[in-house]
Amino acid sequence: MPLENLKGRVAFIFEEDDFDVDQIVGVKNIKIQDVDELAALAMSSYDPGFAKSVKPGDVIVGGHNFGYGHPHYPPMKALRHLGITGVIAESFSPGYWRGEISMGFPQASCPGIRGLVERWDDVEIDWNAGVIRNLTKGTELPFEPLAKADALMLEAGGLVPYLKQTPAS
Amino acid sequence: MGYTITEKILARAAGLPAVKAGDEVMAKPDYVLAYDFPGYTDVYFKQMKEEFGIDKVAEPERFGIFIDHMVPVATPKEEELHQGTRAWCAENGVELFERRGIGHQVAAEVGYATPGAFVVHFDGHISQLGTFGTLGIGMRRNVLEAFVREKVSIKVPHTVRVNLHGELQKGVMARDVFHHMVRVLGPASCRFQVLELGGPGIETLTTEGIQSITCLAMFTGAVTAIVNPDKERLDYALPRARKKLEPVYSDADAEYAAVHDIDLSDLEPIVVVPPTPANTRNLSEYLGLDVQTGYLGSCASGRLEDMEIAARILEGRQVKTGFMLHVIPTSQEIMAEAARRGYVSTLVEAGAFVSSSSCDYCFGRIATMTEGQRAVSTGTLNVKGRMGSPDSEIYLCNAATVAASAIEGQIADPRKYL
Repeated sequence: MPLENLKGRVAFIFEEDDFDVDQIVGVKNIKIQDVDELAALAMSSYDPGFAKSVKPGDVIVGGHNFGYGHPHYPPMKALRHLGITGVIAESFSPGYWRGEISMGFPQASCPGIRGLVERWDDVEIDWNAGVIRNLTKGTELPFEPLAKADALMLEAGGLVPYLKQTPAS
Repeated sequence: MGYTITEKILARAAGLPAVKAGDEVMAKPDYVLAYDFPGYTDVYFKQMKEEFGIDKVAEPERFGIFIDHMVPVATPKEEELHQGTRAWCAENGVELFERRGIGHQVAAEVGYATPGAFVVHFDGHISQLGTFGTLGIGMRRNVLEAFVREKVSIKVPHTVRVNLHGELQKGVMARDVFHHMVRVLGPASCRFQVLELGGPGIETLTTEGIQSITCLAMFTGAVTAIVNPDKERLDYALPRARKKLEPVYSDADAEYAAVHDIDLSDLEPIVVVPPTPANTRNLSEYLGLDVQTGYLGSCASGRLEDMEIAARILEGRQVKTGFMLHVIPTSQEIMAEAARRGYVSTLVEAGAFVSSSSCDYCFGRIATMTEGQRAVSTGTLNVKGRMGSPDSEIYLCNAATVAASAIEGQIADPRKYL
């Protein structure tokens, strides 16, 4: 099944480079397993009203080397639980990238994205055309094509279904 | 155009005559390594059976499992995890290395650092096998692929070449070279690429020192680090190697994404201040800062040269009253040699707490810091909460700096003790 285009609002922009995603839920909460509890904590230090204002389909925008440090899985689990469907960043840290792609969570590396969008703009990730569109402003930027295996993994919905569906060599 | 060592290793592993950076290939790892950790190995073992219907891994001799975290255990649940791991290894005929030390170091000692081999793990610090011309890649959860299939999908990475020149000054150690690279090249400089170290300066470093540097490669964004192995590295690795492979080397006309030069003789000791491995500063800027605890160990540091310099600094001196100095050799082999050479007794007599090898100090499972405490540490990472409370702080530095700071109870310059 081809990857569906993502359409939603920019729910938040992390301006800083080398962003440590653990900050999303706070390091002291990183061991919490319960996703409702995590989601209630997510983004509270950035925008206490985040959980209320986010809508299913929204995306997050990040800077360069997004996911640097020692990324854990709970922050993005929490964001997905709130309805976030993907992350667009200037660039990604490889460990974070691999981890989230293996969860089937779409990511797009798009140099210039911070200049393309403002918070709450409507955006579209068009996988086929390889562009991010700012639907609010009528502008667009190309993003870096996904590796074949990454695209297949996202289409399959994560690592395990990918390994089940694709031939072994 | 020639090929990099990485391209050559992956070409062989993929069964292809040649591959170039950017190619997407299926490559067969020579070895698949992992340490047991909840949410990782226990999940792979379960998924193998339940999701893929695989009772046993194919070619168990390609696999190696380490028990190095939660050693010794503190709860029955942790012991249950280890029991599960032991049982899986026994059922699968996979070799288990328990209580031998930190797996990434033990892997080199027991021959997984085969020059020319392709090795996968979930943990990125396996990059340190690159010291011996082995391509070690941390795949995070995707390492499951290697448990259920012969080959893993990999995009052949581009390579950034860093040529080292000159020689380190007294009190400056190999891990300072790595932190300096993060400072001058940047924490994203090698994203998705291989950090290849070379140049005449590399021969002035010890094997242990190179292991320190290659271990930390991920903090430049690199997927791994590698060295074209010289005689000294081959003399260590070849007699231990688990399989016979021809070592490979980058061609003189190999294509690099970037080439950088670093003069080792320029460097001062470095301190990496919280809360990110990107915050590299000269030690001189932080002298005098109060610290309550020190950690000398980890897969990055904690080897004989680290023990030796700490023992030299602490010989005939005492750790400041109230300061907690933890010294944990990277492996039991290193521990035994450090004892034979007298480093252990010197350190103990100076007031250090010396423990058998374990990963647990590095991530705050034990010797856990509380709010407001500060550590000088040779661990891998200084993010918030890594060694305890999110409101404690970690200052990463070399082993000599940890030892000097232990004497003064504040961040201290080791050079005056050497």
